Amino acid sequence: MVIFSVYVVNKAGGLIYQYDNYVPRAEAEKTFSYPFDLVLKHHDEKVVVSFGQRDGIRVGHALLSINGVDVIGKNTAEGKDILEYLKDPANFPVSIRFGRARLSSNEKLMLASMFHSLFAIGSQLSPEVGSSGIEMLETDMFKIHCFQTLTGIKFILLADPRQSGVDVLLRKIYEIYSDFALKNPFYSLEMPIRCELFDQNLKSALEIAEKAGNFGAGS
Amino acid sequence: METRFTRGKSAILERPLSRPKTEVSVSAFALLFSEVVQYCQSRVYSVSELQARLSDMGQKVGGSLLDVLVLREKNGKRETKVLNILLFIKVSVWRALFGKEADKLEQANDDDKTYYIIEKEPLVNTFISVPKDNSTLNCAAFTGGIVEAILTNSGFPAKVTVHWHKGTTLMIKFDEKVIARDKALEGK
Repeated sequence: MVIFSVYVVNKAGGLIYQYDNYVPRAEAEKTFSYPFDLVLKHHDEKVVVSFGQRDGIRVGHALLSINGVDVIGKNTAEGKDILEYLKDPANFPVSIRFGRARLSSNEKLMLASMFHSLFAIGSQLSPEVGSSGIEMLETDMFKIHCFQTLTGIKFILLADPRQSGVDVLLRKIYEIYSDFALKNPFYSLEMPIRCELFDQNLKSALEIAEKAGNFGAGS
Repeated sequence: METRFTRGKSAILERPLSRPKTEVSVSAFALLFSEVVQYCQSRVYSVSELQARLSDMGQKVGGSLLDVLVLREKNGKRETKVLNILLFIKVSVWRALFGKEADKLEQANDDDKTYYIIEKEPLVNTFISVPKDNSTLNCAAFTGGIVEAILTNSGFPAKVTVHWHKGTTLMIKFDEKVIARDKALEGK
């Protein structure tokens, strides 16, 4: 019963605030010996598994570290290309950690803008006149809730599907935004939010909502 | 003469001076104060200048506030002792402005010219998060200006500065002659 993350998108579709409350880490570390039996490939500056699922390592997982040392993009920490490194039998046995790659901030920016566009498409596709954009998007693992204010700011929340009271929480986040961002003389509109008080109050509001959500599920 | 220049009566000037029950919402004040800070910030080049500007604005407020508060709270009687005027500030002024008393009033250990008013969370700073690059800025300089004007206009010339210490501390430094006069009064 967790809230995974909060995104705040401005009128133009740019991400102005992002907070990851809980990121489930799906990782697996295994020791391999030559020959290396998973098929890896380059994808988006990362090395990902393309074939060979086993023991918690799935297709799409990125290679996170070799022998305990984190990799940098396509190369090891020393700068050697990973695929070349794994073709050399002298380097084995090797212990590699695979896992779901964390989104980089650029990727988050892109995804938030994409959601902004989909939100607008949702309102245009609607058969009823004057409907709002996408308010909720449900998948098996999580739900995206979106609240658009009168001024065009969108508060997007990724939460557990069973989490209750998300509407109230979104209104509360709007209240926190209007208090600690809009009344702050050092914050300019539509710019990334860098206010300590906003962060602190947002975190406590999320904690309260998670605890309240737990009560709802238990009873 | 005034009614010739105003359309109808100016409602605020016709109201009696004693005990208005008006309260202003914190949000309205915060938005106005945020604009005050931004206005000052666009005209200065350093943090100390900004604090000086906020203090000036506070002084204008303090000057106007003193008369009406003395009339309401103490029936026009004026304070002559340093401790009494400080208590007046800590209790009456703070209550009129912020709805509660200031947290602490202390005297410096080594210097009898210096007093401290300490507040853990000043009301004016409730919604303000100072960015790291001007982390020495404390917008309670505005409150410091109010206190300075009240002291100076009551006949206790002083300088008030604001520091980040135990929350926010207003350091009040009286002029020499004020303390000398006060000691002479005690002696009598």
